[in-house]
Amino acid sequence: MLKLILSRLALAVPQLLLLSFFVFLLTYLVPGSPAAAVLGAAATPESIARVEAQLGLDRPFFDRLVDYYVGAFQGDFGTSYVSARPVTELFAERLPATISLMAGGMVVTVIIGLGLGLIGGTKAGSLRDRIATGMSSFTMAVPEFWIGIVLVLVFAVQLRLVPVVSYVPIQVDPARWLQGIILPSIALGIAGAALIARQTRTAMAEAMAARYVDSLMAAGVSRRKVIFTYAFKNALVPVLSATGIVVSIMLGASFAIEKVFAFPGIGSLMLRSVTGKDFAVVQGGVLLIATMIILVNLILDISYGLINPKSRPQ
Amino acid sequence: MTVSMNDRPLLEVRNLAVGYEARGTWPFGTRTVKAVEGVSFDIRPGETLGLVGESGSGKSTTGRAILRLLPVLEGSIRFDGQDLSDWGKQTPLSYRKQVQAVFQDPSASLNPRQLVSHAIEMTLRRHGVTKRSELHERSLAAFEMVGLSGDHLGRFPNELSGGQQQRVAIARALVLEPRLVVCDEAVSALDLSTQSQIINLLSDLQQLTGVSYLFIAHDLGVVRHIAHRVGVMNHGSLVELAETEELFASPKNAYTQRLLDATPAAHPAGREERRAHRLASRTAPAA
Amino acid sequence: MSETFTSNFHSVEAAPPQRSTNLGRILARVRRQPATLISFGFIVLLAVVAVTAPWLAPLDPTASDFDSVLQPPSAEHLLGTDDLGRDQFSRLLFGTQIVLLVALGAVVVAAVLGVPLGLVFGFYGGWWDRIGMRFIDMAQALPGMLIGLTVITIFGRNIFILMIAIGLIFASAFARVTRATVLGERGKLYVEAAEVAGLRKPQIIFGQVFPNLIGPMITQAAVFLGSAIMIESAMSFLGIGLDSDTPSWGAMLSLAVEKQNVAPYLTWPPGIAIILTVLAFNVFGDGLNDALTGEKRRNAPRIRGGAPRAALSTAASRATQTADAATGATSQALVLEARDVTVALNRPSGEQVNLVSGVSVSVGKGEVVGLLGESGSGKSTFARAVLGMLPAGTWLADGTITLAGEEISHRSAKELRHIRGDRLGAVFQDPMSALSPVHTIGAQLIEPLRIHKGMSRPAARARAVELLERVGVKNAAGRLDDYPHQFSGGMAQRVAIAMALAAEPELLIADEATSALDVTTQSQVLDLILDLRDEFGMGVLMITHSLGVVAETCDRAAVMYRGRVVETAGVEKLFDNPEHPYTAALLAANPVNAVGQDRLATIDPELRAVIDASIDAQAKKEAVR
Repeated sequence: MLKLILSRLALAVPQLLLLSFFVFLLTYLVPGSPAAAVLGAAATPESIARVEAQLGLDRPFFDRLVDYYVGAFQGDFGTSYVSARPVTELFAERLPATISLMAGGMVVTVIIGLGLGLIGGTKAGSLRDRIATGMSSFTMAVPEFWIGIVLVLVFAVQLRLVPVVSYVPIQVDPARWLQGIILPSIALGIAGAALIARQTRTAMAEAMAARYVDSLMAAGVSRRKVIFTYAFKNALVPVLSATGIVVSIMLGASFAIEKVFAFPGIGSLMLRSVTGKDFAVVQGGVLLIATMIILVNLILDISYGLINPKSRPQ
Repeated sequence: MTVSMNDRPLLEVRNLAVGYEARGTWPFGTRTVKAVEGVSFDIRPGETLGLVGESGSGKSTTGRAILRLLPVLEGSIRFDGQDLSDWGKQTPLSYRKQVQAVFQDPSASLNPRQLVSHAIEMTLRRHGVTKRSELHERSLAAFEMVGLSGDHLGRFPNELSGGQQQRVAIARALVLEPRLVVCDEAVSALDLSTQSQIINLLSDLQQLTGVSYLFIAHDLGVVRHIAHRVGVMNHGSLVELAETEELFASPKNAYTQRLLDATPAAHPAGREERRAHRLASRTAPAA
Repeated sequence: MSETFTSNFHSVEAAPPQRSTNLGRILARVRRQPATLISFGFIVLLAVVAVTAPWLAPLDPTASDFDSVLQPPSAEHLLGTDDLGRDQFSRLLFGTQIVLLVALGAVVVAAVLGVPLGLVFGFYGGWWDRIGMRFIDMAQALPGMLIGLTVITIFGRNIFILMIAIGLIFASAFARVTRATVLGERGKLYVEAAEVAGLRKPQIIFGQVFPNLIGPMITQAAVFLGSAIMIESAMSFLGIGLDSDTPSWGAMLSLAVEKQNVAPYLTWPPGIAIILTVLAFNVFGDGLNDALTGEKRRNAPRIRGGAPRAALSTAASRATQTADAATGATSQALVLEARDVTVALNRPSGEQVNLVSGVSVSVGKGEVVGLLGESGSGKSTFARAVLGMLPAGTWLADGTITLAGEEISHRSAKELRHIRGDRLGAVFQDPMSALSPVHTIGAQLIEPLRIHKGMSRPAARARAVELLERVGVKNAAGRLDDYPHQFSGGMAQRVAIAMALAAEPELLIADEATSALDVTTQSQVLDLILDLRDEFGMGVLMITHSLGVVAETCDRAAVMYRGRVVETAGVEKLFDNPEHPYTAALLAANPVNAVGQDRLATIDPELRAVIDASIDAQAKKEAVR
């Protein structure tokens, strides 16, 4: 097990190094100087040169790359061109909101996805399978941010069931935190549910058709136990490998959800920085999200190893 | 079937080693695994050489090396006096014309999206037949030779039964009038009643054309019937090679003996003694 | 599963004579999928709307009208107006253009980048593949939105950049699908056959493999089109798509959020338009996939009618009178007595076929009875009928099954569960898949002990060790926590036998239990079954296609053909003096029986006709009775 974790960690390091290099290149690929963007219409060649010197943009490529890596290792990802605050600080402020949203969304995804998948997969070809499959196809076609808009419209604007509060940090007030993330989580959960449902349905249908189900049934094991203990654990193997993509899809979808619910997460910061050409923040954000994805995949890989004995190093 | 002992061998395999690249440990590096080592045998014109063994014995690997689907690691394969390794990675068309194959799963060995006639015509076209009329004529002749009619030419593989599909595969192999056909478990996937028809067909075609077969199979009964000589493979080596009846009557090798003992008999008579014998031989070496 | 049964049943008959082109068959299948047709119709409609939007739209989609700002739907403005007084209906119609154009462009970009990469990785393999796939993995792990965002950041906002940004997101997925398909096709035997025929590599790639790629690629493209529309909408919604003047559905929704309190009507039209469009592409892609791959498990028939029940009671009374004559069984204690078992299947066409017709087989205590037949003869279906585990769509239409004097053919699922494993054990063909790969063999082995013997976990484990030792697994205590893949095929089958015999059942059903094993392993496993029979005295129903297995192990055997038992006899008599022409033909076709003969006996068309005639006569006799 330790060997598996170590080998996966070893794989993550070059991935991160490579990724941060690409992210660093970002500022070079952008046409025009960020300084010009920061200064806006009032920019003169002199003021641009001054700001560039201020931001260290006038130094040679290699020096900046070394600086960037040295800084990154010390947890310093530069300073925002716009607000002049450290990038790390900006993201640290917003990370709890994103994590709350993702956690809530994941709960919804797992409930809807596994639910629909199990309903269909345990009785492939039946009417209930066709209904469940139809429902997951439908959720696949619904933009999650539209669900968000509709939820707000129905529950907050029309029915006034939920106050249109936005995010409240959990340490401030857990009850209001929960209230604030319910609707966004449902909307975000829809984004990942369809994929999980499809995977679960296929994997479950396959597991149910497998020979070991026959052997166990022939040994007198109840259908319920065969489904939920044996077939389900087998089905989890492919479902788990799809979960990495689901998390990534949900992270992407969280940007739009944040906009709908005025949620102060990473997404809104990133969007503001993209439109404001605040590349230091964009760089930091891309790296942060990529790191989160790599981390999630690491955890998934390890749980995959726990479930699937064949993937364990012998 | 006349096999002259004086003929120069059509195929000479000497000290053959074949392997494949296996993935090494995590994610880089490969290692070569030898699936076959030190195998030598000849096949004479018009002869059927049976190659038997259990899964993983290397019998199919040997056949694939002769078909040049796998590279030779050591030793040599000579066809009609020509060392195949002289050609490097290329395989001349003349060799392809003379050495053909029939594989195990007849439905998988035909492209599911193409008419079966396409399989034959494509082969002919590659070997220089371009005239439309001649293509059709020769395809038809090949089909009739294997007991199919022109009507079957315009079908898709899944519109034919397993036996018919295997007949198409045989027609495709024989349309070029090869001198050696590697039959890799060619009848293993077929039911008994279909299997006997295909075996008869293969014998008839040998009578007619003088083709040689390398007949790879795990079923000793089938091999005993069709092969002139039989080689027994185990763990990548050829442990015994003898005239068929000699091998079945008095096997020299202990593994061959075990294989024969394990093969179910054709008739229940004497089965209690056989069972007792197996029990004795199984417990003896282990103790 | 029922498909294996039906297709096997088919193979006995002659192949269908009809012929048609490949494309024609695919179109015919599509024609039978109403959902695919409807979605295709909708896509065509969208395309028409996109092209004719300038004529269809009542107003200029970009023309502001400050006199009618944020007007709810009315006759003048069907879907209302936005904050600049622009007509929402016109914007919706024009939005179709943007959505289709961007999605199509994105998929073209993705295909142009991804397909060649996938082809290179798939065909050349090696280092190219390994390093390339690492990059693909990385790219695919990143959120698509992040990639799109980055591209927009670098290159700014316009329609071509948007296409490239979205296309890049799907390029890696395209590459992966292409590579997987190539690898799948490349390993197929027909590619090797083409190589043996001397075809050049390009000929094999473009003539053989490529045509088989087109189907999956088109399917992928259709599905990606749907996803691309989603991403385009999300990006426009976030304000990083096209500028807000351009009518796009996503941007319209963005406005809907801002004006949520005053103009809720803005929410619905663009949202519904997106859903319907994406749904159409997804359904079309799925339907196309089904049509291209042919059969689809999803539509397996699943009809359990009321008719079968009614037939049973009469059958039961009738069976008692005829069974003894039919089975020829001695009156010793019978473990299994199956009488007139008929298993029916409903074809999708509604036609009912009998997979097993009036089969009567009995097994005495300690007796090994063979059930011999070729593929499609119905022997495995019969075994499943005895186990009460018939596949969906098939049912016991007639007959009775008695286990040691007790009727079990009408039992509920729950009652059957207590019989299976306890009094009735079964071993199936492929040992490696007969055990759950993600559970230890110990966990699976103790199941029957816990259920039927009520043992505690430690007691069951101790018994499991004994059982494993009994079936010849060395170091049994140490191997209890191993997983199936750590066993060889023969050893795995021994474990499966231990599991079937754990509760010491009265009857063991071995359904082709040794067919997947090598001969030396097969003889060991067969000997083990015989040894266990001697020890426990259970009856064995040995279902096999192999004459040799029957000869070596069975006391009596029934020969099945086309769902019927054509002959039941003691094994000596069966081999020495077969009564039915089919049995005789099978024996003659066995190459082992033809040593020294040049030709094997075959079932030629004339003999086949004789056999079929005798079967039909038997059927007619039954019908009259």
